[in-house]
Amino acid sequence: MPQVELRNITMRFGKVVAADEVDLIIADGEYVTILGPSGCGKTTLIRIIAGILEPTQGEVLIGGKNMKGVPIEERDLGYVFQNIALFPHFTVQRNVTYGPMVKDRGKDEQRQTAQKYLELVKLLDKMQMFPSELCGGEQQKASLARALATDAKLLLLDEPLSALDARVRVDLRYELRRIVKRLGLTAVHVTHDQEEAMSVSDRIVVMRAGGIVESGTPQQLYTRPKDIFTSNFVGETNLLEGWVKERAEGRSVIELRDESTIVVEQCDFDEGDAVVVSVRPEFVFPFTDGLLSKIEYFTYMGTYWRVTAEAQSEDMVEFDVPAAEGKLYHPGQEIYLMINRKAAVVFPRPKEGIAEAVKLE
Amino acid sequence: MPRIRLEGIVKNFGDIKAANDLNLDIQDGEYLCLLGPTGAGKTTALRLISGLTKPDKGRIFFGDKPMNEVEPEDRKAVMLSQTYALFPQLTVAENILFGPDIKDLSEHDKEKTLNEMLEMVRLRKRPDAYPRELSGGMQQRTALARALASGAEVLLLDEPLRALDARLRISLRHELRDLAKSLGLTTLHVTHDQEEALVMADRIAVIRQGSIIQVGTPAEVFDNPASPFVANFVGQSNFFVGDVIQKREATEVQDDSGHSVLARPGGCKIGDRVVVAVKVGNTEISKEGEGFFEGTVERVLFEGRNLHVDLNVPNIGRYSSKIPSWRLGKLMPGDVVKIKWSADKARVFPMPEKGLVEELKVE
Repeated sequence: MPQVELRNITMRFGKVVAADEVDLIIADGEYVTILGPSGCGKTTLIRIIAGILEPTQGEVLIGGKNMKGVPIEERDLGYVFQNIALFPHFTVQRNVTYGPMVKDRGKDEQRQTAQKYLELVKLLDKMQMFPSELCGGEQQKASLARALATDAKLLLLDEPLSALDARVRVDLRYELRRIVKRLGLTAVHVTHDQEEAMSVSDRIVVMRAGGIVESGTPQQLYTRPKDIFTSNFVGETNLLEGWVKERAEGRSVIELRDESTIVVEQCDFDEGDAVVVSVRPEFVFPFTDGLLSKIEYFTYMGTYWRVTAEAQSEDMVEFDVPAAEGKLYHPGQEIYLMINRKAAVVFPRPKEGIAEAVKLE
Repeated sequence: MPRIRLEGIVKNFGDIKAANDLNLDIQDGEYLCLLGPTGAGKTTALRLISGLTKPDKGRIFFGDKPMNEVEPEDRKAVMLSQTYALFPQLTVAENILFGPDIKDLSEHDKEKTLNEMLEMVRLRKRPDAYPRELSGGMQQRTALARALASGAEVLLLDEPLRALDARLRISLRHELRDLAKSLGLTTLHVTHDQEEALVMADRIAVIRQGSIIQVGTPAEVFDNPASPFVANFVGQSNFFVGDVIQKREATEVQDDSGHSVLARPGGCKIGDRVVVAVKVGNTEISKEGEGFFEGTVERVLFEGRNLHVDLNVPNIGRYSSKIPSWRLGKLMPGDVVKIKWSADKARVFPMPEKGLVEELKVE
């Protein structure tokens, strides 16, 4: 069964290091997403797994076997591209039977395979159509059915939803996970979209500049990120600059630039250390006491309002209020903001500055 | 800056009705998002305003001035596409000064315009950089500076954030809007991304098959959708099909299997076949207490701020709910939950003529 293992993979394109000594193990049956900004090396990595690229250094093992010199068609994997790659002059059905056909499967088996996977992606009624007669989401479903029809247990998804409309993307990502899990496949999915990554994955691997920043379940990365880059990349967050004023078990005090203070439950740094506190907007709330802040503007998010305020410490703070309570606040208003101490995560203040540490491109 | 009006615009490309009696009114200085699925006619609307496409029928006004016969270069409307179209062999400064109205300026005035533009788009340190040396956000700001340097009054944005990474897209939304608003430009921003429209627009116009189906503030469009399509396109919705059986402070709707739900009063009569729409974020689920009906939890996905819960409801189909993520671990696949919503969060629509599935198609 396909466990995927990358050992010390390095990939150089001239001076550019697209992968820098990457080690990664993807367990059999696991759905792993490689998430990162443009140019972080995520596409290089999935192409190395597929055998489209040969790494400069390091080894790829699939199901325990070293893949050195093994071409893509012999790695027993399905691959779905960002730019939908169907044969335009074949019907959907012929596109899907292509894999079984080149493997010399009998006609009946070809038909049954196509039937099975087209049903799974809900395209049975359109199997006699040509790709150009389908809309984008359906074309990508057909590409998925074709990748699945190889009966491979390893599925590689290279930004499979990026070319689609936002609304279609949302529907399809839930489908994608449902299908992968039902078939018990090992899936490696590459994306720059953190929402998509959270919805589909068992585990997310965050990449930046050719290296792995950290990996964890969506919940771990969102609630307890180990790196400040992750805290900002996987979901939006407030980053407040300060120093550790008091350190105590379960209750540490952080002083901000204007000498105001916030209390956090967990802090692994010593008194006097320069730190950054990350707290997500849904864990900041107006209170009778806390950080004195001035409301700047409101954004309607449908089921809630996101409010942007500037604290006296000159940190920008975003917080959410329920849709029905939007009327209680107005721009220019001064309020106190409290932070949920359990939800705050404390990082060392980056030497290069916060902006550089969380830079998105 | 001009107010823009499109009146009864028709534009056909063969059998395709790209504009089908299109009416739209964009106020002076307004930031309006034109939201719709691929192929709805969004880009055609932009091109009609810019003058790159001529309508078969209908009239276009900037202020009180009819524009149908005005050439694109005389409209002071500038279109910014998804790919920015900068000249790769020219620097930032040369790109900005490329516009036709600038070539004739004196060196002194050119210098002044350039400095103003660089300051405005925060590129003062990079006038000598080539486009390929810039990040996506910087390229976009350069393209915007070039557009503004040529004296544009109307800004036409064709999916301006599409080529950027998802996370970057979110952080550039406010920046782009603030820039357009601070210059007082009349802006039409085309997008297929409902969240982008909610966050950026003064008003949203929802377009489908060449016609505008609703115009309103983000809150109006989200809370008061004009059709089941809008209800589902702008924030996902759950649907319930049945007959109106009572109208009091709320409308009561009952389906063929005897389940009944409540919704906000609407323009329908007792006995009418209707569709009730409620946003997934307003669909409440709980193991205890009352509900309109029951469903079985199929899966629970952690999405950060929220959990996305898929439910299977016998005789009705699949429902989804978004609930705060602190409830993670309290709901498991297989759990049976009560499903309900507050009547004022649900809206009643007459049953669409072509059926609900056809109505909800997003492509």
